[in-house]
Amino acid sequence: MTALFVAKWMAAFSPILTVLVLMIFKNWSGSRAGAAGWFVALIAASLFFGAHPKLLAYSQMKGILLSLNVLYIIWAALLLYHVVNETGAIKAIGIGIERFSADKSIQILIFGWIFASFLQGVAGYGVPIAVVAPLLVSLGFSPVVAVAVPAIGHSWSVTFGSMGASFQTLMAVTGYGYAYLAPWSAALLGIAAFLCGICCIHVYGGWKMVRHSYLAILIIGTAMAGTQYILAVSGMWTLGGFGASLVGLLSGLAVAKLKRYNQTSPSQATSQMGLAWALSAYFILIVIVSAGVMIPWVKEFLGQVKLSFSFPQIVSLNGWVVAAGKGKAINIFGHGGALLLYSSIISFLVYQARGYYRPKAVKTILQKTIQSGVPTSLGIVSMVCFAMIMDHCQMIYILAEGISRVFGSVYPLIAPWIGLLGAFMTGSNTNSNVVFGVLQQETAQLAGLSAALILAAQTTGGALGSMIAPAKILVGCSTVGLSGREGPVLKATLWYGLIITGFIGMLTLVFSFMM
Amino acid sequence: MNEFFKKYSVQLKSMALILMLAIPFFLFQGAVQDSLFQVNLFLGLMMANMLFVMAKG
Repeated sequence: MTALFVAKWMAAFSPILTVLVLMIFKNWSGSRAGAAGWFVALIAASLFFGAHPKLLAYSQMKGILLSLNVLYIIWAALLLYHVVNETGAIKAIGIGIERFSADKSIQILIFGWIFASFLQGVAGYGVPIAVVAPLLVSLGFSPVVAVAVPAIGHSWSVTFGSMGASFQTLMAVTGYGYAYLAPWSAALLGIAAFLCGICCIHVYGGWKMVRHSYLAILIIGTAMAGTQYILAVSGMWTLGGFGASLVGLLSGLAVAKLKRYNQTSPSQATSQMGLAWALSAYFILIVIVSAGVMIPWVKEFLGQVKLSFSFPQIVSLNGWVVAAGKGKAINIFGHGGALLLYSSIISFLVYQARGYYRPKAVKTILQKTIQSGVPTSLGIVSMVCFAMIMDHCQMIYILAEGISRVFGSVYPLIAPWIGLLGAFMTGSNTNSNVVFGVLQQETAQLAGLSAALILAAQTTGGALGSMIAPAKILVGCSTVGLSGREGPVLKATLWYGLIITGFIGMLTLVFSFMM
Repeated sequence: MNEFFKKYSVQLKSMALILMLAIPFFLFQGAVQDSLFQVNLFLGLMMANMLFVMAKG
């Protein structure tokens, strides 16, 4: 490896390092750190990677289209949260669950692991963290734990969640079918499911609580991982995340009734609103999202209007070519954000009809939504935009190439880290698979490794990247009043993300020796 | 000045977000029309906007 390559690798890594240092060690908000990262990426791209004004213009437009897809969800999720919270329903849900099970580990597993995975199965794009974090705060967990737990808990289900969008992307970019890719992907993600469950508990109560919860994690994890594997390998991979978490929910409720988890007497606190009414907004959300995603004619009807732009081939001054193609399309009425918006409006009307709102509630809901949405959106847009600069100037590719050159024969060990890097940068498993899918496939073929195994490690790393992606952490923080103080949450999830990814890397290496 | 930023924080950040979302459309238009002036002008605006976000975001 030449000194020039090392210098280029360092330059390519500088924007990521800037964001990490500023957020973790300087406690900068996501928006400020994202803007600083954008400047560093702009300077590095211009000086070392042949960026020119037209390349920057196209990359920023692609960045905005990606951002709008995420912001649509975030703003609608925030609106739904404030529509629910303004009635006092979040507090009522907390009281209701406490009466059902006072065991904190069960509360964490049901909300942070299973329910978050269920929401990932039906929606994704940060919705699990945005919805679950305030629920956990209402149960008495600290805001940092409340964001970190669903961030960790939902990540294993990202690849087969959102109707398998990330897996679909992996198949599209590599040209392989599900029969080849699904078994290893489902196996590694299944193992990740157990690890995520353990880490969810550990982040709150350490090893003592993990020992207390091992039976629950074993039963629920087996139910979820097994269901996901069966669905994925039998061709129903679109329902992999959804079906697994649904089975997980049923097993979780059964486990909560075990004597081992009923030793603390449930709280006797009561609230004015019943649990069913308090949860009604989420029932509405489940019905609307399920209909919008699973019923073909509804999906087709809502998907008629799409905003998309065509981009020409873009060549950097260094000769790096980004192929011509369409940017990320925005499905105006069938998007996950639109479904959340419909749920918010219907929930508001239901609560209004029941008389749960105080006068001027609409104004308060909108004000609170804007106050929490703006800083979050600034962070997401700046980070996605600098990731697009890096993508269009070969910087992300150089990072991955450097990692694979250094690790050579133990490449399987590092494969999930590349997926993790892509998700960290773009906030999405899908984008990670787009950026690195072909690179991983080609590296595996050159090294004589199983492409199915390496691509499974790629998508597993991409899924796990969701727990450390600033774009997603920002979403969760905005719903629990931690806007501008995302550093402590990132610090918490970062360690778990690195440990689980390291473990998956080691397993990939072992499996590669066995094949 | 700090008082001003504090008082109108939400409004200023909202404006920065709107600019951040709008400017790339003008950048795209400039690139498509091969207008280097328009691209450079809006890149300059985007930098100024990012600078504001970095300082006050």
